Amino acid sequence: MSVTMAGVNVDVATQARPLPAKEFREVVFDVKDLGVSYSGNQALQDVSLEIYRNFVTAFIGPSGCGKSTFIRCFNHMNDLIPSAKVEGTILYHGEDMYGPEVDAVEVRKRIGMVFQKPNPFPKSIYDNVAFGPRVLGMTDGLDERVERALQQSALWDEAKDRLKSSALSLSGGQQQRLCIARCLAVEPEVILMDEPASALDPIATTRIEDLMHELKKDYTIVVVTHNMQQAARVADMTAFFSVNRGEEGQRTGILVEYDATSKIFTQPSDKRTEDYVTGRFG
Amino acid sequence: MGVSLRDEYPDQMRLSFQEELDRLEANLQEESELVLRSLRGAINALEQQDAELADEVIAFDDEVDGRYLEITKGIEQLLARQTPVAVDLRLVLAVLHINLGLERMADLCVTISKLTKLSADLKPDDTLVEAFEEMGARAEEMIRVAMKSFSERELAGAESLVDLDELIDRANRRVVKHVFELGNDPAVREWGLRMIIVSRCLERIGDHAVDIGEQTAYLVTGEFREFTDASHPEGVAGDESSARPSS
Repeated sequence: MSVTMAGVNVDVATQARPLPAKEFREVVFDVKDLGVSYSGNQALQDVSLEIYRNFVTAFIGPSGCGKSTFIRCFNHMNDLIPSAKVEGTILYHGEDMYGPEVDAVEVRKRIGMVFQKPNPFPKSIYDNVAFGPRVLGMTDGLDERVERALQQSALWDEAKDRLKSSALSLSGGQQQRLCIARCLAVEPEVILMDEPASALDPIATTRIEDLMHELKKDYTIVVVTHNMQQAARVADMTAFFSVNRGEEGQRTGILVEYDATSKIFTQPSDKRTEDYVTGRFG
Repeated sequence: MGVSLRDEYPDQMRLSFQEELDRLEANLQEESELVLRSLRGAINALEQQDAELADEVIAFDDEVDGRYLEITKGIEQLLARQTPVAVDLRLVLAVLHINLGLERMADLCVTISKLTKLSADLKPDDTLVEAFEEMGARAEEMIRVAMKSFSERELAGAESLVDLDELIDRANRRVVKHVFELGNDPAVREWGLRMIIVSRCLERIGDHAVDIGEQTAYLVTGEFREFTDASHPEGVAGDESSARPSS
């Protein structure tokens, strides 16, 4: 059904579309009893949840709750820390991501990541986007691939006349979109974003949020954010993490509640979630 | 072993926000006190056929409207600046609805007072005067129960409004029946017709009190639901003519 509003046809069905029922969601990651420890200190424990395809899933929670530790499990980033130990399972399309035959480089090709601080290489804009494809030997039609990635990250119009300029000449917000383009250039399935907008001004932040909305049509996005309103705006599902303190004061991150974002922000089931999202405690 | 954020951070945060919410709710309670005064004045003027008191009730509506606008502006500010979510969001939305309901009740008191003035020269009927006293007292009780259960977040109290409303509905039906039996004197019939509207106004005040109860239930449970529904009247005694319109 559509209605005409101010001369524009608006499809009513697309407004505030409810999430598809669980049986119609495709599970990308199935996390079971996941725990992560650093040098024996339990940073995160007993996390079980499912990440769905073409959803934006947000992880929120106070500092030290393990949400960044958790997102880093999805592309083997914790492997880079020698003392880190991951327990439990993450099934990626049904396959154990931490099985013996899994190649971390192959995983990272399919599961890209964008970090808090824009981190372009000190190279040209073009070379930044072309970097991944070149490393992976995806050099056929490289120019088109670079353009497509820049188009998808909404940077093409601003960058097309200066592709040979240094990436460092771009603004912070543009650099972050360049990092997203660099991630998209190798055609991943999932994009992990760890605080992607926390170093950006409000306008640049809005552009990243719009971009996430656009990108979820083709990708599955997982985002860690300190900005609860950002989670409320962009995410379909939201997971709230908190901290348990052990007898000797050691802090362990736990998953408190995972539900549709609309539920988390109108009637969370757990008192701890309510305390956090209303900003009263924590 | 679980440590809640309340344990971790014993000092509550967002104090100014909490103060604004508290002020909003206090304002709403005061608005309901004004409505009760308006209702009592309207009933007294009606019973005593006191046109002067009726005029006072009509003028007093400005006070209620002033309070209504103040609360509306407070909500606008809160939504714009504090971005309430979860229980805070439900509270602000409930206050928004209840504010409107209270303002409507005061408008109904004005209507009663206008009809009182129009009927000041006509001989009153003791049966109807008694019926209005009963309906007025019941409406007052419902407003008190509605505002108390809202303030105390008490679901059972809010739900009890449905039964209280049924008593007003029954009184309303008795009034209508009585007016039909008043005979053929044109002056009496004119008066009777006006009194049916008075009765309807009191009955509507009861409906608004039930709506407040529904907002309390929403605030407490997070679920929108109507206590009664004209299209699904099961469980509610009464005939269709008094069933509340579903909105």
